[in-house]
Amino acid sequence: MIAMLALPIAALVVLSFWTQSGFELDRTPTLENYAQLVRLTDEPTVWFGIPFYFSYPVPAILMIKSVVMSLSATVAVIALAYPMAYFLAFRVHKHKALWIILITIPFWTSYLLRVFAWKIVLGFNGAINSGLKAIGIIDQPLEFLLYNPGAVVITLAHSWVAFAILPIYVSLEKIDRSLLEAASDLGDSKLKRFLRITLPLSAPGTVAAALLVFIPTVGDYVTPTLVGGPGGTMIGNLVQELFLKQNNAPLGAAVAITMMLIIAVIVAIFLWAIGYRRIRARRA
Amino acid sequence: MQRIKFLDRMIDGKLSRRQMMQAAGAFGVGTLVLPRPSVAAEVLTCLEWGGYDSPDYFQAYVDKYGAQPNFSIFAGEEDALAKVLAGFAADVMHPCNYSVARFVNAGVAAELDTSRLSHWNDIFPALQSAEGVVWDGKTVMAPADWGNSSLAFRPDLLPPEFVENPTWAIFYDEAYKGRVAMTDNEMAIVIGAMVGGMPYDEAYKLEGAALEAAAKEWGTRAVNVSKFLWTDSSEVQQAMASGEIVAAYAWNDLVANLRREGVPVEFANPKEGSFTWFCGLTLLNTGKADEQAAYDFIDAWLSPETGKALIEGSGYGHANMKAFEIADKEAIANMGITDPVAMMADTIVFKTPTDAVQDGFNKVWGDTKALKY
Repeated sequence: MIAMLALPIAALVVLSFWTQSGFELDRTPTLENYAQLVRLTDEPTVWFGIPFYFSYPVPAILMIKSVVMSLSATVAVIALAYPMAYFLAFRVHKHKALWIILITIPFWTSYLLRVFAWKIVLGFNGAINSGLKAIGIIDQPLEFLLYNPGAVVITLAHSWVAFAILPIYVSLEKIDRSLLEAASDLGDSKLKRFLRITLPLSAPGTVAAALLVFIPTVGDYVTPTLVGGPGGTMIGNLVQELFLKQNNAPLGAAVAITMMLIIAVIVAIFLWAIGYRRIRARRA
Repeated sequence: MQRIKFLDRMIDGKLSRRQMMQAAGAFGVGTLVLPRPSVAAEVLTCLEWGGYDSPDYFQAYVDKYGAQPNFSIFAGEEDALAKVLAGFAADVMHPCNYSVARFVNAGVAAELDTSRLSHWNDIFPALQSAEGVVWDGKTVMAPADWGNSSLAFRPDLLPPEFVENPTWAIFYDEAYKGRVAMTDNEMAIVIGAMVGGMPYDEAYKLEGAALEAAAKEWGTRAVNVSKFLWTDSSEVQQAMASGEIVAAYAWNDLVANLRREGVPVEFANPKEGSFTWFCGLTLLNTGKADEQAAYDFIDAWLSPETGKALIEGSGYGHANMKAFEIADKEAIANMGITDPVAMMADTIVFKTPTDAVQDGFNKVWGDTKALKY
């Protein structure tokens, strides 16, 4: 555990306090890399109409963009996964194990292949475009499908949906069916019963699923690389770029660590906002 | 074939204990168990451009060692350099005349002993002593392939005004938004500055505020107008074949490959100029394999047979003069110019920027791309 988790992070932290000068690493400890991320300037860089008063605005802009893209993907994943998990928990009575295996089938192929498949689906001569052309809805291929943030969000949502189904399914499956019967007996409509019993009781699984999707997708690197184009760049691409192109590993480490801290804060705020304590207390 | 034979021999019980152990070692099984000498020698590791990992280009090496070396594919020399500096133990690298100095300055390139290369004397004399092959008085690159970087376009999909008078300005023209593809390289800024009227000799060494201004004006435009910034040539070739893009920054291989498939494509000589590069093999001092294997690999690349494959397959030139004697005459005719010296006189030869300039370009280009939305 220590060797696998703590040591690499410690190495990253140490690296972020060094600086790169030419081809050499300057090992004098300094906060320069972090200072660079927050240093202000009078000339704002305008991005999407928002002025950024940073002298090095790229990390801040990409961080915000990544969080927005990742949140959209998370919302899409939950919206897709919840009905599937609900169906699995309440409507499927026979061969449940088989159904669960069927849901995990996309995971039998490599993540890279699934992302690449989307490149083919969304591409200029891809499945969507040739399909629409064949039935005569369009004559020119749609250009806006691939190489933009939307393509990244679609791909992320599809790739991570199976991760979300399982925790939601488990929490739905655990719900005591007699509570639902009691609610109906006492006069709740189906919708009310869902909102008052099923949804709150499945909240822990849904929250877990949301975090399971949100945290890794913020820093995702391969999906934006393949389907994002320059417009779909995320913060993970910047870290890669700093390490492997700009040859500035210390700054890359500082960006990576700042990203981890920001995600931790966002997750903490999220848990606080939905009253995670209350949910836990109710379960106990 | 090799694999099936191995399995057959194993089933028949004809394999010696040593051979079994060697095979297991190939899977990393034995590293802790086996005594050191029985582990096979380190395999040669080469940093290569995509497409150059085909055995056509180093057949002599395969014949001698019975296997291909390991490849790590890079999209640009700066990626490869960063990888080596991060600790990747490569033996051979394939830089170009304008980028080899980066490896020398970083202290990872070794001097070549040209007497160990059997084909050295057949190399064009102009290339033997060209800047980039020789750096700081030492031979650090064995020149192998040379060719052009220029603008490739689809004449059937562009207006006649452009076809008659092609210009790099198409990559910065909003009217072509989403229909062109620049390379994912700071050349987008350099060429932009040239479109703006600056000669290459000034544009390639932009620095500081001038560089940032050029990046803001030209880099941003190139990033916004391009459908995507290509990093591997098959990606841009597919997009051009389908008509998704109508013009791209390209090398000779794009034109050769698309013409072979019957796609109408022209390799322009834009009014701002086209570029010539020559690349070759550099011995790195970070490798673990036997140095002789590295020399054999480099020598295989310099052979006339490799040159023949290169000329016929990709439309690139080769550094070995004898390659032009044995290659298909029609393929040579298609290339146009067969003498690198004449080629260099007619076009802009890429120049080596200083490390500070290159670092500046890397950073500015990375930032420019990241700010697209």
